[in-house]
Amino acid sequence: MNEEIKQKIKERYEQELNKGERFWPDSIFKDVIVSLGIFIVLVLLATFIGVANEPKADPSDTSYLPRPEWYFLFLFKFLALYGQIPVIDKIEWLATVLVPSLGIALLTFLPLLDKSPYRHYSRRIFALTVMGTIVLDMVLLTIMASLPVPPDADELAVSTTLQTIGGLWIPAALLTILVVIYAFKRSLYWESTRRNVPLWVTVAGAAMMVAMTAAVSIRAAAYPKPEEAEVPSTLVDQIVAGQDLYSVQCVECHGDDGSVAVIEGVEGLEGEKITPINSRDVLYTITDGAMYEVIAYGRPNAGMPPFGKTYGGELSRSEIDYIILFMRYTWDDRFEAPVIPELFPPLAEGEVPSYDVHIAPIVKRYCVSCHRAGKENNDYLMTSYEEILTTGENVEKNIIAGDMNSYLLQVIQGHEIVNEKGEVIIGVMPPKTKLKANVVDAFIRWIMNGMPKTAEDAAALSVMPEATPAP
Amino acid sequence: MWKKIFDWLDERLGLNDLYNTLLDRPEPRGNWWNTLGSASLFLFVLQGLTGIFLTIYYTPSPDHAYDSIQYIMEGVAFGWLIRGIHHWGASLMVLVVFIHMLRVFVTASYKYPRELTWFIGIGLLLATIGMGFTGYLLPWNQRSYWATTVGTQIAGTAPLIGEFILKALRGGPDLSALTLQRFFSAHIWIIPAILMALIGIHLYLIIKHGESHFPKKDE
Repeated sequence: MNEEIKQKIKERYEQELNKGERFWPDSIFKDVIVSLGIFIVLVLLATFIGVANEPKADPSDTSYLPRPEWYFLFLFKFLALYGQIPVIDKIEWLATVLVPSLGIALLTFLPLLDKSPYRHYSRRIFALTVMGTIVLDMVLLTIMASLPVPPDADELAVSTTLQTIGGLWIPAALLTILVVIYAFKRSLYWESTRRNVPLWVTVAGAAMMVAMTAAVSIRAAAYPKPEEAEVPSTLVDQIVAGQDLYSVQCVECHGDDGSVAVIEGVEGLEGEKITPINSRDVLYTITDGAMYEVIAYGRPNAGMPPFGKTYGGELSRSEIDYIILFMRYTWDDRFEAPVIPELFPPLAEGEVPSYDVHIAPIVKRYCVSCHRAGKENNDYLMTSYEEILTTGENVEKNIIAGDMNSYLLQVIQGHEIVNEKGEVIIGVMPPKTKLKANVVDAFIRWIMNGMPKTAEDAAALSVMPEATPAP
Repeated sequence: MWKKIFDWLDERLGLNDLYNTLLDRPEPRGNWWNTLGSASLFLFVLQGLTGIFLTIYYTPSPDHAYDSIQYIMEGVAFGWLIRGIHHWGASLMVLVVFIHMLRVFVTASYKYPRELTWFIGIGLLLATIGMGFTGYLLPWNQRSYWATTVGTQIAGTAPLIGEFILKALRGGPDLSALTLQRFFSAHIWIIPAILMALIGIHLYLIIKHGESHFPKKDE
């Protein structure tokens, strides 16, 4: 750039300054308004959306699907689509290192590459179309990356193909065309906008990219939504989560109050002497960390199997932490427990309980420990509504709508089921504890009223007494 | 009285000179797009302040990081607000800095005599993204742990030096206490120090050359 042009630029800037404003207060005023607006937006976001709670990091849980922060999603998607290209997909570093480095290098050295003194848009069509294509592709890749995963292999193939075309091939072709025009017929970028070939090429390419992304998004709208596992965030929620997990994983051997000293009725561990885990000896001397290790690794020599995922159990790090919290706040007298809400909302006169609101939490707390796959339970599984109604050796007599003789109602009220030969085929349930009266009542009302699943179904069945106005 | 105090200070600090060089500057007619730079600076300061508050309770160790954040969210008065602002501010800062870069690109403000301002600006953009990357691991939850595992893995695919980069980022072959410690250090000391230095130069250059004006048709 020669001195003459430099001088011209400076003169031009002086002219603009003379027509302009003062930094203080004119510009500062606008800056303050924008910053204040941003601050208000942040406070609103923090207050009304907050930060999603996630489970604790668990290096042993390799099934977790990694997802980067949203502003890296485009790169994430780019790498995934790059993996679809035959042959060069084997050379990983082309996509992971070369392309991003090249992008950053081009961006950094932009002032050295673009030395023309022109600043107005009409004279920078090449730069603007290239940048526009790249930024649009970044936005579209981000959208693609945030869509739910296709449910089956066929759909996955279709979706991936559309994404590769829209997010990779079209932008690549578009950029190639723009660069080729620049290299061989630069004048096209200079003619007046009405005859501007590159501009229309870009618009057409961009429209195709958007259309592809729209097609992928519309297909994805029909996919089943991934179930968002709720992560307990408050202390109370965590204690309750811990109690539910304890009720499934630990209660068989340790009992629901942790006081068992000699194991009864557990195959393979019959008569095994154990330390009551609700005792001060245990709670005062074993730290959370040590307790974590005991639960995760087990005590193989004393018969306790491992429960942590790392060692082949079912529990994640967070889940073990919840169980420890439950133990501390329930049995450790140094901890003051917060108010724990009822297992299910109390039933009013004439109200019919539903599976979703009432029965599910009860079953989880008292039954699932044994009534799940891999346990001795006459093949009666209770982990879902369907299973409760349709599994087990005695399925036809187990739950009969409106019948007090349903086996389930009999055994939870302390009556064994005996066959013709006089043999006990189902013992009292649960084997070692007696359900509270309100729990038994909930089961009776549920079965006598035809086992409604949702709260709406149950409400339709309820015969609530008309609220009589007070005299 | 105030006049006397002001005069005394002015004589020693040069307040009037500061006012004349820093604040009472002529500028081209402004535009709302021109506020994005100062908005980035505001977000940086806000992230700095909320970040400093967070370090009072945050513990950078795999055993305690997660629980310390739980405590900030549940136990500390207004901890949820501070962390909420820090969390959302991070996303917004990346967005605002990026759009600021696009604005400079579109108006071709990186051209003579502001080339150096652009170089420094790219440094600021990369450092901001680096803040996002290092800060993401600190809550030590499933999301952050696995995202960082993959992120460092990707950096590790570089030919020849990949192995070294991977180990340098992680402090060993796997994510561990060392990784968390060095990400924390990078997040609160190393990158902020770089950012502050770059911001200083960036601001000096802006004052030196003035804000660029929106180009007219004949430019």
